Order: sequence, then structure tokens, then C-alpha cells
Amino acid sequence: MKLTKRKKIGFTLLFIGVLIISLALSQYYKPHIDVYNTNPDIITNATDLLYEFENDEEVANKKFLDKIIQVNGQISKVEASENNDIILTLKNQKDGLGTVICNLSTKENKKLINLKEGQIVSVKGICTGYLMDVILVRCNVVNN
Amino acid sequence: MKYILSVLVCFLLINNLKAQDRYLTKQGTISFFSHSPVEDIEAVNNQVLSIVDIETGDVAISVLMKSFMFEKSLMQEHFNENYVESDKFPKAKFKGKIVDFENLENKSKVSIQGDLTIHGITKEVKVDANIEIDNDNLVLNGVFTVLVADYQIKIPSVVKNNIAKTIEITFSLNHKKYN
Repeated sequence: MKLTKRKKIGFTLLFIGVLIISLALSQYYKPHIDVYNTNPDIITNATDLLYEFENDEEVANKKFLDKIIQVNGQISKVEASENNDIILTLKNQKDGLGTVICNLSTKENKKLINLKEGQIVSVKGICTGYLMDVILVRCNVVNN
Repeated sequence: MKYILSVLVCFLLINNLKAQDRYLTKQGTISFFSHSPVEDIEAVNNQVLSIVDIETGDVAISVLMKSFMFEKSLMQEHFNENYVESDKFPKAKFKGKIVDFENLENKSKVSIQGDLTIHGITKEVKVDANIEIDNDNLVLNGVFTVLVADYQIKIPSVVKNNIAKTIEITFSLNHKKYN
């Protein structure tokens, strides 16, 4: 009787242990958020997004940082980064030096031939903050 | 305070427009590397903003902490939420001067001295860099180290062995002339 009780406890502990280890491992190898297949938290346009950051950066940080944002805007520059990913710059339609800089993920490279200056696009990405420009990373072009 | 800051920023920007001797990049690269017996951790930031004025020797660099990309998302999460607390301190900044900035065109190595702010803590640092200037480009690159403890970044004892006490920081800033 005593032994089975001990066994029961042993099994329970073993079960809990395995559970904890597998949970820990799945956490450790948890993939990055898949922007492509996630709906945006906020949809806006480049000019409004810039205005919010220029107006009050602290409030804008609280609202936008780490969020998936879909931004509509006009491309003012198409560049390649040092590791050959595409960087899109979206214009501020009002006066102002700031732009929205979108760093596209490597998966998007094949879309390069379809991206031209002056074109209106919709880009979805994660907002990491504002320096002179609002910066989005892990972006993909939504309807191109 | 905020008002003064924004006025200052505007002033800087307007100044930039007039200047002929300023070089700027919005796509500089800064990466850091932590080596420990348990694991190596590396993160890269490709959205570094850096401005160099060769007339005055001034260097100003701004980095968004959330733009550091890690291989594992858990590392990135811990880095942002627990270590550098990027919600509270979204940026790291360096503001300094090139030591002996005369005749920069003929130099290949410089020292840059100034204040480095990470996690809201400012420390004076002196960093050696390779420099290369031609007509429209100014390239600065180099490696230096910082002590995690200097910036009051607390590492929980559970992961103490996973994270180095000294972090190696590599920068590669390819500026273009800014008119």
C-alpha cells in the first residue's frame, strides 16, 4: 500500500518534470511572430503615423511599439540593406523630414521588381520606434 | 523638458540642412555578442541613425533597442522586457567627438570619445574606430566592449552563466554626405 502510494507520487513528479522540461524547450525554441500570417493590430497611413510620433513620442511609443502595424503610403525610395533585404521608405505627405522606413523580411525579396518609387503600397510590420523616422521591421508588402 | 528637447531636435535638423560637412546614415549596423560556456548570443540592428560632422568632429548615434534582431525570439523577449527594459528606455545613444579631427581625410584610425547611454545610464567611453572618407562617403567601423554591470542591467542568477559579463559591440556605419 505504502509502495504504491510512493509510486503514485513518483509518477506524478516524473509527469510534472517532463511537462516542465517540454514547456521550457518549446519556450526556448519558440519561433518569432509570423507577421505575414497575423492580422495587423493597427491600420494607418504613413503621414498619420508620423504625425503621432512627432506630436508626442511617448504616447505614440505606448500605442505602437511591438505592435503589428499596417501602413499605407507612397514609396519615396527603394533600397537594399547590407544583407540585401529590401528597405522601403514611405513618404510623409505633409511637410516634414520624417519618413516611415520599412525593413522587409528576406522572404519578400522576390517582390523587388514590382516595387517602384511613387507607387502606393500597403506594408505590414512590427514597429520598433522613432529616431528621425518611424521604423518597422520584419515587414511584408500586403497588396502589391 | 520635452519642449526644450523638441526645439533642440528641430535646431539640429535645420542645422543639418545647411551643413556641407555632415555625413549621415539611417541604415548603420550595430551588433553585439555575448559568449558564455552555456551559449553564444548575438543580435543585429540594421537601423542605426548616425551623424558625423567633420568640421567639428561631432558624432551622434541613436539606436532603437527593439530593432535588435535575435535568432531566438525568447532571447529577444528577455532582452527587451527584463534586461534593457526597452519600454522604459527605448533608445541607446552615443554623443561624442572624434579626438584630433583635423585632416580626417588622411587618417585611417581615430579615437572617438563621448557619452554612451544604455538603459538610462550614461557612461563615458573611448572607442577606437577605422575611418575611411572619400567624396560622398564616410565609413566608421570598429569593435569595443561594455560591462553589463556598468549600465545597471540586472541578470537573474538562474541565467547568470548564459550571459557574459562583458559584451562585445561591433559597429559598421556607412555614412553618406548630407545636403
